[in-house]
Amino acid sequence: MVELLAQTGLNALYAASYTALVAVGLVLIFGVMGVINFAHGELFMLGAYAIVAVYADWNLPYLVAVAVGMTFVGIVGLGMERAFFRPLRDNPLGGLVASIGFLMILQALVSMGFGVRMEHVPPVTQDVIVISEKVRLPVFRLAVILAAVVLLASLWAFLKRTRFGWALRASAQDPEAAALQGISINQTARIAMFIGAALAGVAGALTAPLISVNPHMGHSVIVTAFIVIIVGGIGSLEGAVIVAVAYAFVHTFVTTFFDGVIADIVGLLLLLVVLIVKPTGLFGSTDRA
Amino acid sequence: MHSSVTSLAAILGLGAVLLALPHALSFSQQEILVFLTINVLVVASYRLLTLTGEWSLGHVVIMGVGAYASALLSKRLGVYVPVSMLLGAVTAAMVALALSFPLFRMKGFYFLIGSFAAGEIIRLLWKRFRDPFGGPKGIKKIDPMPDFDIGIYAFDFFEPVSYYYLALAVVGVSLWIMWRIERSPVGLTFHAVHWQDRLAEASGVNVRAYRTLAFVLASGFAGLSGALLAHYIGTINPNSFDVEQMVFVLTWTIVGGTATFYGPILGCVVLTILNEIVLREAGFEQMRPLIYGLILILSVLFMPKGLESLVRGALSWQNARKKKVGETQATE
Amino acid sequence: MAPPVLEIDSLTMRFGGLTAIDRLSFKVERGAIHGLIGPNGAGKTTTFNVVSGFYEPTGGAVRLRGETISGLRMYEVARRGVVRTFQHSTLFAELSVLENALVGTHMSFPPNIFAAMAGVDKANRRAARARAEEALDFFGLSGLADELAGELPHGHQRALGMAVALAARPDVVLLDEPFTGMNPEETGRMMELMVKLRNTGVTILLVEHDMHAIMGLCDRITCMSFGRLLAEGNPQEIRHHPDVIEAYLGGARHVA
Ligand SMILES: Nc1ncnc2c1ncn2[C@@H]1O[C@H](COP(=O)(O)OP(=O)(O)OP(=O)(O)O)[C@@H](O)[C@H]1O
Ligand SMILES: [Mg+2]
Repeated sequence: MVELLAQTGLNALYAASYTALVAVGLVLIFGVMGVINFAHGELFMLGAYAIVAVYADWNLPYLVAVAVGMTFVGIVGLGMERAFFRPLRDNPLGGLVASIGFLMILQALVSMGFGVRMEHVPPVTQDVIVISEKVRLPVFRLAVILAAVVLLASLWAFLKRTRFGWALRASAQDPEAAALQGISINQTARIAMFIGAALAGVAGALTAPLISVNPHMGHSVIVTAFIVIIVGGIGSLEGAVIVAVAYAFVHTFVTTFFDGVIADIVGLLLLLVVLIVKPTGLFGSTDRA
Repeated sequence: MHSSVTSLAAILGLGAVLLALPHALSFSQQEILVFLTINVLVVASYRLLTLTGEWSLGHVVIMGVGAYASALLSKRLGVYVPVSMLLGAVTAAMVALALSFPLFRMKGFYFLIGSFAAGEIIRLLWKRFRDPFGGPKGIKKIDPMPDFDIGIYAFDFFEPVSYYYLALAVVGVSLWIMWRIERSPVGLTFHAVHWQDRLAEASGVNVRAYRTLAFVLASGFAGLSGALLAHYIGTINPNSFDVEQMVFVLTWTIVGGTATFYGPILGCVVLTILNEIVLREAGFEQMRPLIYGLILILSVLFMPKGLESLVRGALSWQNARKKKVGETQATE
Repeated sequence: MAPPVLEIDSLTMRFGGLTAIDRLSFKVERGAIHGLIGPNGAGKTTTFNVVSGFYEPTGGAVRLRGETISGLRMYEVARRGVVRTFQHSTLFAELSVLENALVGTHMSFPPNIFAAMAGVDKANRRAARARAEEALDFFGLSGLADELAGELPHGHQRALGMAVALAARPDVVLLDEPFTGMNPEETGRMMELMVKLRNTGVTILLVEHDMHAIMGLCDRITCMSFGRLLAEGNPQEIRHHPDVIEAYLGGARHVA
């Protein structure tokens, strides 16, 4: 029993790491641009397909593929900002709808390029750290967890320590005041969109070797990310990380001890309860949206 | 007097065209016509929901509630299909009423996400509980509508034309009811709640009750459309009512525009024709979601008021021209 | 003397650390035009928001003919006969002027969905329409019935806001700065209408910065500052009350 618990805990930590990356990106985009990016799950999916193309098909080193995926998806994010989020800045519902349209475009493009079948990426490393007879931690999962921690820590440092980060936080708190202080809204929106998209992309790239990659894989990711950001408080990066971890634990344990569908239902019920009781989320204080 | 004669003539003309229409189409086009007719009811009911200003992402799931309820009632309990369809609509309305308690504590964006979550929960319940919902495979061999004969026409519901006439009648009556509601003081109150809920409430309107009323009514009609669909295709499963379907409904509605009664219907008809006739027959099958996505983005960007704004623009242009012609004639 | 129609009793409203209303008490007599004045930010609109049920007060109570109404929802307060207008023109901008007034008749002629579907509510609709037209007529808006409310000039929008409130035939109306955006001529006409309205038995609680209008109209005036009651009396008393002069001049000096 102890072994099963420990093993499940490690799995949960792994799930938490990529969920946090996706959710934090979503929060960042919402914070700065005030729009919900419904296509965020598809950015995750693009990151995974970058691995399929660069690593599995072209046989380039995995880390190169991750870097390519991250950059590529970040650039796609810049394109989204320019193409519709910027013109629809005063129309959050319009922005959301446009991102739904973009989601369909991405799914269709990937289906046309790669086909709709599942892609299986060859494992990067099969090494396993054996902690006890029943608790075994695959090295790759450990690497994913560490990578997520490093990425989130650098994001935190970027936001707290750099001028860009300061501008980003300022315009997330009060876009008008920030604009008055000479912070360019377009500039901060671009940075937020690039980073947010790149985080979704890198999350997809990191998980690709462990899951079956398909054009519709973004759906469950975006549902999870919604739950996380709303329960966490839609403007709060810290809330997103904390809830991502907590949610991953709940979900992984319920999946292990009951089943996956029940776990999904539990998660969605949690979302509804939070929306009813405290719509601004557990860690949220702002009343934007 | 004159205008009521013209509009009566227009309605009769439209009716004649709609009755004759299937006979000018191929078999597969007739099938599409049935789906289109059902979808018209879905979008029209969706607009009823949006009248009070809330946008839901759960509407298609509510439609599914009607479909599942009617399918199960007829299959398990042997309820006569037309009755089970109505009960399906009632079930959808009841589920919406139950959902309204948590959901209408939310507004705007939160309502959107809340309705999405509620819809996903219902879909997951269908998936999880094989008994009675059939699990991921859903319900198969749903009882068809029983054939009947009304003297001038014998309905044989394996023929799309027959089902089209049935759907046309059901959808026509539903639209007429929705139209009456919108044009009534109830409809005015819906609009009031949408545009300025504070002033509406200060005028004594129980805003929440009206939001709930619009939601429940819209859900009832959505449930009816789901029941119509279920007994036509004979098989339903949780994926028949997934987010992708919701995106289609959203697209039709937004491309059409929600300011007028006919906007979403126009969007649905135009995009379905484009989708099924043009894209499918031209062999762009795989690119359909791509083109749909593009249309969605472009219309939000460049036609935020929807297709109906083009129609209204054309009408007012024509009116202005008529007026001008009248004026020049008067001066002559 | 008849009991007060509206009684504000030790009302307190806090937003976080800010006390917008601080143990405010005053009474409004039936059939009076009662002024509520005070410098910007004194808490006048907040008082309206509490009385009308938009906020639930932190402490104290509002009583209507002896019944406590604080804590009720806004529509429940309205149904008891207290109807308000808003400081910032709040209208159904996308609806026509007539439709705006029709919403105002909601309480007197509640819509019935089944009657509407069956088409048996014709008499009700006619009566509502007559009531709405009457309210528009009272404020001289009849000629604009088919215009979109959002496209009216500002002064007309203020008048329409009052017409919507009046179409409900309230016992008490709360008017928040009804004369802003009107020229002196329009203000003069509105003042006559207010008197006419009062003579039909409606009690008016009026927030207004236009001192000429306040002094000319009100039977009684309550002056508040920083959420507290500062002075109360008839226009003469208020005009010469040292605290009132201080509050207004103090503010002015501060600005200068
Ligand atoms: N919802 C709110 N949250 C926080 N503070 C508020 C809120 N509403 C009002 N206040 C504060 O309460 C105080 C009183 O505001 P209020 O609008 O009632 O003043 P007022 O007397 O109507 O002023 P004016 O003459 O400018 O209209 C102000 O300091 C205002 O900032
Ligand atoms: Mg005020």
